[in-house]
Amino acid sequence: MTRASDFPPPFDPRDYVAEPTAPADERIEVGVLIVGAGPAGLACAIRLGQLLGEHPDVAERLGEVPVAVVEKGKQPGSHLLSGAVVNPRALRKLGFRPEDVPNYGEVHEEAVYVLTKRAALRIPPPPTMRNHGNWIMSLSQLGRFLAEQAEEGGAMVLPETAAERLLVSHGRVVGIRTGDKGRNREGEPMGNYEPGSDLVARVTVLAEGTQGHLTGVALDRFGLRSEEPQVWELGVKEVWRVPKAPRHVIHTMGWPLRTSAKYREFGGSFIYPMGDDMLTIGMVVGLDYRDAELSTHDVLQELKTHPKIAKLLRGGERIGWGAKTIPSGGWYSLPSKLHAPGLLLCGDGVGMVNIPRLKGVHYAIESGRLAAESAFAALRRGATPSTALQSYDDGVRNGFIGADLHEVRDMRQVFGRGFFVGGALASAMTVSRGRIDFGKMRAEPDAEQPLLTTNRAASYPAPDGKVTFDKLSSVFASGNKTRDDQPNHIRIERRVPKEVAEMWVNLCPAQVYEIGTEGSDGTVTVNVAASNCVQCGAITAKGGRLTPPEGGSGPEYQLT
Amino acid sequence: MSMLVFLEQHGGELQKGSLGVLAKAASLGSNDVAAVIVGDGAKALAAEAGAYGAAKVFVAEGEALQQALPQPRVDVLAKVVQEHGYETVLLANSVLAADVAAGLAARLDAGLNWDLVDLTGDLVGKRLALQDTVLVDVGWKTTPRIALFRAGSFDATPTGGGEPQVEDVTVELSEHSQQATITGQELEESSGPSIEDADIVVAGGRGLGAAENFSLAEELARALGGAVGATRAVVDAGWYPYSAQIGQTGKVVSPKLYVALGISGAIQHKVGMQSSNVIVSINKDANAPIFEFSDLGVVGDVHEIVPRLTELIKQRKGA
Repeated sequence: MTRASDFPPPFDPRDYVAEPTAPADERIEVGVLIVGAGPAGLACAIRLGQLLGEHPDVAERLGEVPVAVVEKGKQPGSHLLSGAVVNPRALRKLGFRPEDVPNYGEVHEEAVYVLTKRAALRIPPPPTMRNHGNWIMSLSQLGRFLAEQAEEGGAMVLPETAAERLLVSHGRVVGIRTGDKGRNREGEPMGNYEPGSDLVARVTVLAEGTQGHLTGVALDRFGLRSEEPQVWELGVKEVWRVPKAPRHVIHTMGWPLRTSAKYREFGGSFIYPMGDDMLTIGMVVGLDYRDAELSTHDVLQELKTHPKIAKLLRGGERIGWGAKTIPSGGWYSLPSKLHAPGLLLCGDGVGMVNIPRLKGVHYAIESGRLAAESAFAALRRGATPSTALQSYDDGVRNGFIGADLHEVRDMRQVFGRGFFVGGALASAMTVSRGRIDFGKMRAEPDAEQPLLTTNRAASYPAPDGKVTFDKLSSVFASGNKTRDDQPNHIRIERRVPKEVAEMWVNLCPAQVYEIGTEGSDGTVTVNVAASNCVQCGAITAKGGRLTPPEGGSGPEYQLT
Repeated sequence: MSMLVFLEQHGGELQKGSLGVLAKAASLGSNDVAAVIVGDGAKALAAEAGAYGAAKVFVAEGEALQQALPQPRVDVLAKVVQEHGYETVLLANSVLAADVAAGLAARLDAGLNWDLVDLTGDLVGKRLALQDTVLVDVGWKTTPRIALFRAGSFDATPTGGGEPQVEDVTVELSEHSQQATITGQELEESSGPSIEDADIVVAGGRGLGAAENFSLAEELARALGGAVGATRAVVDAGWYPYSAQIGQTGKVVSPKLYVALGISGAIQHKVGMQSSNVIVSINKDANAPIFEFSDLGVVGDVHEIVPRLTELIKQRKGA
């Protein structure tokens, strides 16, 4: 049995922990440093702005830059992608009415279909998929909006800035070091070389989103990982301009995924209207799958050929594309603690996602808000001891984030038993609102799934450039124009059994991996076209490790 | 409607791109098209500027202007615009001109539209957007209007203009314009014309099979008098230097003839060469996307066809 986990990447988290190195007068000092301009980080910045506005004395003590947000994308929103049907609860708590943020309206009608290759059977929406009262949004647009609000509230937002190292001094997180810019492929400084700088802070908030680089480093450094491993799903989505958008929010299950338990193909699709003339269509697949030829990108292409779906797209044009992983371990995979001395961990980075409801944006926002409250309380007291940030953990676990995730705590694991059995169990669990205890069901890390090949790729349609697309065209549609001659940011074992290499080639929605030369021992080399990478994070789930490339690299999402 | 065109010169040679912009400006029906030439030998180039449509040429020479630095050129242009009231300033994109355009816009608090591919007589600029998939109209709300055109947007065709009026410009450089200096300049070794300037480009892709097979592209380019380009995939694979990469993250070219050897035609490559006049592709995969935007497509093996093609061209040229 071949497993990707038997070929670990050359990566040691200790390489990314450092003492502050720069001379003290070259450090950039800020009050609270937030890593990641997504819903969690920006909610944190906005709430801090509100609190500091009410307490100018505390703001005064925090120096010239009380709140800073670093973002690796070209601008806030560049790397944000979600469904997204958003539960407005957390936005309201932060002080925004959903009608006042960029949106595509409230959900009024919804439909759930079980697909076979040619037919579509409409079923009543399972309790978890009822979306009345939720709002359709583009997370990328929401990110840009929230970033403006955060800046108005006094935060400094620094885009094109990758957080590469965690600064730790005497067991306490004291900030981050940003990545260098202007190195060539061999790592040598070029003419426009700019070394990274130390950003030193009283409190550091990691809100990096799924597969956050420093979040992973911090979980290892402070021993915070849960006993239950985190697992992920990969979502690939497209935005289409169409003559007429559907009225419904649509979810599908079944085809093109195979429902037998041995394949472990857990997932489904979503189709949301974005106003009258746009829609978003996406496919989500659990990364605990086993087939080396499974490609979420191509399963989505296949989905679009279904007669029911093709009808929705007829006469339309694809105008956006993107991909991102979703942490799906839920309750049991949350870290043992969400804080360490000087450090708070938010949102998708630590897995705050409710998979059966396909919701996480409002947990991200709420966790950012709670992190702000906790950081503010500690700073106001002038406290820095290790327990000062415990109130954040309490807030998350005792609030609606903890309650919701606990209710569906076994949901993800049951689907490993096959789609129909799993579906039945999942419904029972939701209907009972979590009162039936199925015992803790263990999940294996995604990379430990034994690989098999079943000629799965044979069913993927040949790209026609109109409805179905090849991966490179998709990367283009993501707006990615990353500089090619920069150091490779993807860590993988470069010589692996052919099955593992094939799995990576198919896994990646952005055509980063390519099989090179075959050795005499049945292994192959893997070539990496790192500049195609849209930083979805799938490789980290499946046996590699993504690190942040030069700031400003990667996709430039607009509508995702 | 007065227009001022920045003519870039290096070593006494006016750059083709900026002459193209000048010829375009002259074709728009304005009766006041002037050019600015800066640096040693500027005066000697005025007549050539006249032939491409400049009725008047401002020349600025002097030791401080010798190096190809942007800020002193901003000083010159700002002075000419302010003293003579030019409403529109046009530049052809280059490393130097992009800096000059940005600096001038900041200095004059003027609007700058960059990466334009065309301009109409009523001053509506055309710019490709959304990764070159749509053409949008852009304009200016205030004067002076500054426009920076994409390389190769216009042909440098002499307009038959006569001897221009020449005016010397002397300018007191601002303090901050004298802070930068060029300490060294190196020319990358290259056997033929640079791919951005070449009228003919022969580009090789993965279909060549191996690094050593790039000699096929090089020999054909030599026979045609063209330059050699490469796709990202082969640059990534180390077959050819990055400086030859054509495409979204490489160079954008628009030669008269583009010969694509073993190139599939991914959209990332297409946006770097789609504005070529004539595109000829040789690829053994009949379904390769490049055939959708080629003027002439040959389905076949580059290793068989290219040596014979090269031989034929040599014979014809020899004859």
